[in-house]
Amino acid sequence: MLYVKELFKSYEVGKNEYEVLKGIDFHVAQGEFVAVMGPSGSGKTTLLNCISCYIPFDKGNIRLGGMELAGMDEEELARVRNTKIGFVFQDFMLLDGLTIRENILVPRIVQGEVPKEAEKLADQLAAMFGIGHILNKYPAEISGGEKQRAAVARSLINNPLIILADEPTGNLDSKSSRAVIETFINAKQKMNATIFMVTHDSFAASFCDRVILLKDGTIYRQLEKWEDRGVFQDQLLDAIKQMSE
Amino acid sequence: MSQTINMRQMEQKLQRADRKQSRLYLFCNFMALMIISAYSALMLSPTVQKVFPEGGDSAKQMYMIFVMTLVGCVVFTIYALGLFFRHKSGQLGVLMALGASRKRLAPGLYREVLLLSGVSAIAGTAAGFPFVWVIWHAFRLLLVDSSDMVLTFDFRCLFISLLFLLLVVGFAGLTAWRYLKKTNIMEVIREEHINEPVKELGRWCGPVGFLVLLAGAVLGYGAPWACHAWFYMFPPAWVGVFYAPVFVGLYMIMLHTVVHGWKSHRRNPYKNIISRSMMKFQGKQTVNNLLVVTLLIAGGCFAVFYLPTNGISAVLRYASLPYDYFYKYQADQDVPDRTEIEALGREYGLSLKDWNECDYVTVGMGGMTEIYEEDGLRYHIEYVPMLQEAMVLSEDAYRMITGQEVDVKPGTYRCVNDQEGTSPYVNNSAKEITNMTTRKVLATEFAGYLHYDHFAEEIPCCVLDNADYDLISEGLTDDWRGRFAAFNADGKDSYPFAVAFYHLFISSFDQSCERVSFYDRVQKIRENEEGLEYWGDTDEMTKISYELSDSFTFRTYWVYMPSFRILNQNDYLRNMAVMFMMFLFIFIVCMITALVVCHTRCQSIALNNRYIFDDLKKLGASPAFLDKEVRSQCTNVFKMPTFVGTAAMFLLYAMILYANDGRMLKTEWAAMGLCLCIIAMIIAVIYTVYRSTVKVIKEQLKI
Repeated sequence: MLYVKELFKSYEVGKNEYEVLKGIDFHVAQGEFVAVMGPSGSGKTTLLNCISCYIPFDKGNIRLGGMELAGMDEEELARVRNTKIGFVFQDFMLLDGLTIRENILVPRIVQGEVPKEAEKLADQLAAMFGIGHILNKYPAEISGGEKQRAAVARSLINNPLIILADEPTGNLDSKSSRAVIETFINAKQKMNATIFMVTHDSFAASFCDRVILLKDGTIYRQLEKWEDRGVFQDQLLDAIKQMSE
Repeated sequence: MSQTINMRQMEQKLQRADRKQSRLYLFCNFMALMIISAYSALMLSPTVQKVFPEGGDSAKQMYMIFVMTLVGCVVFTIYALGLFFRHKSGQLGVLMALGASRKRLAPGLYREVLLLSGVSAIAGTAAGFPFVWVIWHAFRLLLVDSSDMVLTFDFRCLFISLLFLLLVVGFAGLTAWRYLKKTNIMEVIREEHINEPVKELGRWCGPVGFLVLLAGAVLGYGAPWACHAWFYMFPPAWVGVFYAPVFVGLYMIMLHTVVHGWKSHRRNPYKNIISRSMMKFQGKQTVNNLLVVTLLIAGGCFAVFYLPTNGISAVLRYASLPYDYFYKYQADQDVPDRTEIEALGREYGLSLKDWNECDYVTVGMGGMTEIYEEDGLRYHIEYVPMLQEAMVLSEDAYRMITGQEVDVKPGTYRCVNDQEGTSPYVNNSAKEITNMTTRKVLATEFAGYLHYDHFAEEIPCCVLDNADYDLISEGLTDDWRGRFAAFNADGKDSYPFAVAFYHLFISSFDQSCERVSFYDRVQKIRENEEGLEYWGDTDEMTKISYELSDSFTFRTYWVYMPSFRILNQNDYLRNMAVMFMMFLFIFIVCMITALVVCHTRCQSIALNNRYIFDDLKKLGASPAFLDKEVRSQCTNVFKMPTFVGTAAMFLLYAMILYANDGRMLKTEWAAMGLCLCIIAMIIAVIYTVYRSTVKVIKEQLKI
């Protein structure tokens, strides 16, 4: 589904150049729920932004559903972002002037037409994620957890190949975080969605099939979940502890 | 179930949600265009153009402040556009992140931006005319009215507004294009939250800024003088670049204000730390805004100081003139004689006393003058015989009129200056004078000054030995001869008499005297004899008419304009009305713009940092603490530009007055005192707006 090969990315700050990603290699299979963890500055968000084509990368290859993203022009990249990728931001990024239903439908609206099936799907997703009752409300009128579930519904409206989530529980309390993670699990189970999530939260990561640990722009270790979630969370915490030593 | 919307409808909904930002942008654009349109409409109106002498200092001052206002408005609109896009970028970024291509976003974005900028710019341009009309008519109704004050527009002024309008709309389109071209979507999304700290300089930058500012003022003012004194060159337009350090100095002062503040924080480094940090992290915009406000306040002061510096010297001068009534006329004119004037006085219950009359002749006088080189820029000094007209009196005539004892040696002349010795119209380099009828030449040389205000006019006035006077005036025709007359009112003077006499006096002149004081008949004859056309015979020459004897142009430039104290005193404001009101208008425009920029800036700093105030409340900050932080932030925005703008202009004016003749006269000290009073009034107005801004912000932040 997603292949990332020898990915390099650096930033220029004044006259200094900082290499953030130093040759990242990994892949994500169809229907897999993968998390990326690592300390601040390890390159997690940069990796996510490169995969979603939000920022250009310096070197390497990213293949999504058989398409090579490097070298695509802006029009093609926009089409990929719209139809092949669903993105969930840490701070939701819902548009204040639109209702929750309209927010969920934005990726279809920007395509030009909103068929009846899309409206139906929006309602189904809202119902699936427990936000059916707030569809006609505006973002300012609902809670953070509801906003993030609306954002997940928005990311799924075009049946994308992959959902990219940047610390989706970062701004939420534990109850809302749990509800958001459940929406991802729902999406994976009921829609066979592929999810790639950046997180600091070992609890959220413990629901994933696999966790990639990043350190200083390289992959430090990958852990797969074979056993119970609680055990996997302990393994994650141990690995993070080792990484920090 | 609600109806799903399409792209266009979605954009419209989002625009409705953003109406607060749009309103701010509309308001800023509208204000800028209205001010430019109003200023250019008045500046280029025939009403103002016919009063402001072309190339004169007042006109230069008016154009200079216009350029300052224009720069202020450009920075202001760019700032407003920046604010609008900073907010818009979050929305644009989300749509891009969700897969909206640039092509898809472009029509909606361009439509919105061009519509907002276009409508506000057109509305502002159109509003400029009623704005200027209302203010001008308020002046006429409440302050002063005259035939000169009738307001007419030359709609070619729209060309300036149109250029500014195109700049606003074009820049808005360009900014939209720049945002759409961005490839880093995260940058677009986060733009709203990105701080713009300025590059910090040490605490030295403020004090050094003041020195640089001062150096710029001295350099800028001194450069034209240096061109003349050292290079014998008329200062070209580019010498204005010597004022550049003024702007550098201002920038450094404002940078210091934003980054460090002017109070020492050594004793309490945490004092006002919140407000200082809020300003610092929007440093670029804040420094630019403070700079613009300083320029506008300085421009406003530059304009309004014109009133006391010109007004007070005229008022004091009129009061100190030796005679109530003093006039001259050409010998061939049938001017009312003493009997007729006394009869007219009786009609108004006025008796006249101290009657004095004497003859004078107009001669050709040689002198040193500047001769242009072929490049039209440089010149050299050369002696030219028959350089200009001069009025010549005999010793006896001068003594009779002035009561001063005078002894002029044969073969010399004494030049009459004003009491303070500041008249620019003196000729102290003549070697000969010429009888313009017989062309007889009398050798002479300068033998010092005499001082008498009535004779210090645009045409130089000289006194000769009685025998020399008889010699040079022999054979002169009446058109080169004239007569001075002077008298006082016995008791309280009568304004209606002065008006009646003024009109009777004018009606006695024929067409040959319908000319301005700087139409030089000697220069005309000399140049015509050299086969040249005298510039005074071209369209460049100011035209006057007896029909418009109460107009500013006539009363200022007519060669035989009499000096009637009561008439001049009562009509001074009316004569100068257009000039004074133009400068008052400029002052009002500059102050309104400066106050709007200050108010908007304070609001945007506070509102952009609303979350800081919310956090401080959560951390237990008392309303008194929050109130102090809001005040401190607003104080910085209002105080420093006010201080620098007013102080810099006050010092510049003082420097100009001093540099005119290397000393400060009584009238100039008085004018500077009045300027200080005006500064106090400006500070009072700014303080009122500051208080209202603080109140509005506190309401918005719910403090």
